[in-house]
Amino acid sequence: MSQVTVLTPQPIDRGDDPRDVMQLVNVRKIYPGPVEVLHGVDLTIKAGELVSIVGPSGSGKTTLLHLMGTLDQPTSGQVLINGIEVSSLSDRQLSAFRARTLGFVFQQFYLIDGVSAVDNVANGLLYSGVSLGRRRELAVRALRRVGLGHRLGQPPAKLSGGERQRVAIARALMARPAIVLADEPTGSLDTQSGDGVLQLLRELNTDGTTVIVITHDPAVAEAMDRQVTIRDGLIVSDVVTGGVPR
Amino acid sequence: MSATIQGPARLSPTDTVRVGASGLTSRPLRSTLSALGIAIGIAAVVSVLGISASSQAALIAQLDTLGTNLLQVQAGQNFGGATSSLPLTAEPMLSRVGPVTTVASVATVSAKAYRTSYVPVGVTNGIQVKAARLNLLDALAGTMAQGSFLTKATENYPVVVLGATTAVRLGFDTLIPNSVIDIGGKTYVVGGVMASMPLAPDIDRSALIGYPQAERDFAITGSPTTIYLRSTPDQVDAVSAVVPGTVNPANPNEVNVSLPSDALQARIATNDAFNSLFLGLGAVALLVGGVGIANVMVISVLERRSEIGLRRALGATRGNIRSQFLTEALLLAGAGGVAGVLLGAVITLIYSSTRSVQFVVPVTAVAGGIAVSLVLGAIAGLYPAVRAARLAPTEALRSV
Repeated sequence: MSQVTVLTPQPIDRGDDPRDVMQLVNVRKIYPGPVEVLHGVDLTIKAGELVSIVGPSGSGKTTLLHLMGTLDQPTSGQVLINGIEVSSLSDRQLSAFRARTLGFVFQQFYLIDGVSAVDNVANGLLYSGVSLGRRRELAVRALRRVGLGHRLGQPPAKLSGGERQRVAIARALMARPAIVLADEPTGSLDTQSGDGVLQLLRELNTDGTTVIVITHDPAVAEAMDRQVTIRDGLIVSDVVTGGVPR
Repeated sequence: MSATIQGPARLSPTDTVRVGASGLTSRPLRSTLSALGIAIGIAAVVSVLGISASSQAALIAQLDTLGTNLLQVQAGQNFGGATSSLPLTAEPMLSRVGPVTTVASVATVSAKAYRTSYVPVGVTNGIQVKAARLNLLDALAGTMAQGSFLTKATENYPVVVLGATTAVRLGFDTLIPNSVIDIGGKTYVVGGVMASMPLAPDIDRSALIGYPQAERDFAITGSPTTIYLRSTPDQVDAVSAVVPGTVNPANPNEVNVSLPSDALQARIATNDAFNSLFLGLGAVALLVGGVGIANVMVISVLERRSEIGLRRALGATRGNIRSQFLTEALLLAGAGGVAGVLLGAVITLIYSSTRSVQFVVPVTAVAGGIAVSLVLGAIAGLYPAVRAARLAPTEALRSV
C-alpha cells in the first residue's frame, strides 16, 4: 500500500538542536507493584513533525503520552520539552507549562456535559489568564476552523462522536500549543469520522504544530509521517512513511 | 535556550464562580436537593427567631401601653395562716405616698353572679363579684369593649360591668340593652363589658359593681381586697418597698405587693426558653444539611475524575481544582442559605398575619443564617476539594 522506509534510530543530542521540541532520554517508568512499563526509551521529536506512536495495548504507549504531556514523571531518565527538563519544574509551573505549550486530545473527548460547544472550547484557554469574552471569540473561530461553525451553542450530548472529537481538537488548538498530544483520537469513532479527525490533525500539523498521535491502529499510524512502534516498553522501530493521505 | 518558566495565570473571580457553578447547573436536581437540606435548617432557625421576635414585639408593645409601673397590693396570710384583710385606711394612706399617681381598689363580694336566678347553685360556682372604684379602669389602663364603665350615678344602682371572660361565659358576646343578670338573688342591669386586661386577669373573670351598691346589697365593710396603684415609672421599686408599711403599719408582713407586668415579662422569657429548643432542632437540621452537601461533593469528585484530569491537562493547578470544588460547595450552601432565609421570612409573615402581630425578622437572623450556611458549605466542601486537588492527573484521566 504505502511505501515504508526504515531509518536508523535518531541520534540523541540533548537540547543542542533548537528544533528538538520533545526529547526522551533513557526514560524508565516503574509503577508500584513493581511493574516496569517503560524500559529506557530514547526518542527525539522535531518541531513540526507528525508522529504516531503505535503499539498493542499494554505496550506502554499511554504511559509514554502521560510522560510527554507532563502529566506524570519518569522513574528515571529525562523528559525535555523545548529543551526544558520537566522534572525540574514544580507542580504549579507544570500546570502553567501545560496551559501554554501542550494541547491534548483524548479518546473519550472529555467534554463537559451541559456546557455548550463554544464554552467547552473556550475552556482551552481558561487557565491561561484570557478574559471570557476573548476566549469565546477565539472559541468561535476555532470551531469554524474545525468545520463546526453551525454547532456553536450545542451541548456535547447533541453532537455526534466525530463532532465531539472535533470540538475537543478545537479546544486543544485554542492555546496555539507547540505540541498536540492525541491519545487514540479515533478510538471511539467510525472510519469516516476517524478519517475526518486525522485530516484535521494533519491540517493542524501543516500550520506548524507538532502532532503526536498515540494509537493501537496500524492504519491510523500509517496516516502519519513518522511511525514509532513500541512493544513491551521499548521502541522496536522508528520509520518514516511517504505521508500518503488515506 | 532560555528556560524561564512563567507561573500559572490567576483565575478571575468571575471565572472561579462560573467554573464552580457549572458543576451545579449540569446536575440541577441533585444540586437542588442537597441545597434543600441547608435551606430547611436555615428556614427553621430564621422562622423561629422571626416568630419569636414578632410575638415579643407584640408583647413589648403591649407592655409599653399597659406600663410597667402598676403595683398590685393584696392581703397576705397572718401568722396563724388565715387570710388577713387590708385596713380601711390603706387606700387614703397609699394615695399620700409621693410618687403614687393613681390608687384604685376592688373588694370581693360574697355573692356570686349567675345568668338568671334559675341557675341551680349546686351545679355551678357562679362568677366572682367585686365592688370596684370608679377609677379602676384608668388604673389598669383598660378599655371598654361595649357599653360604659361604672359612673358616679350607676355605682349607686344595681348596675354591673362584666369582665371579658365573664361576658363570654354568661353569653354577652354582644350586649343587648337592658340585659340583666342575677347577683345574690338580686337583679342587676349589665351596663358594659370590659376588654381583656392582661395586667389583671382576675378582673377579666369578675363582675364589677359599685362600692355604695355593694355595701347596701351585700354589706361589705368597705375594706379593699386588692389595691391597684400606679407610681411614677422610675420610683416603682421605692414605692413597692414602702407599700407594706403604709398599708398595714402594724403587720407589714401580711401585705403582698406584686408587679403584674412581671408576668408579661416572664412570658417573654418563656418564649426564649421555647426558642432554644427549636433553635436546637434547627441546628440539627443544619448539621444534617451540611453532611448532605459533603456527601454530594464527595460523590461529585468521584464521578468527575475525568473532568478533573482534563482540567489538569488544560493547565489547571491543584489550587484551581481545590477552589473549583470549594466554590461549588459554597454556592450550594449559599443558595440553600438564601432560600432558607426567604422561606423563614415567609413562614414568619404567615404567622404574623394570622396572629395580626407585627412582622419582624431580626437582621441578625438573616445575616447569621447566610453566614452559617456559608461556613457550613466551606467545612463540607473542604475535604472533597482537597481530595480532588490531590488526585494525580494520570489517575484522574484513567478511563473507568
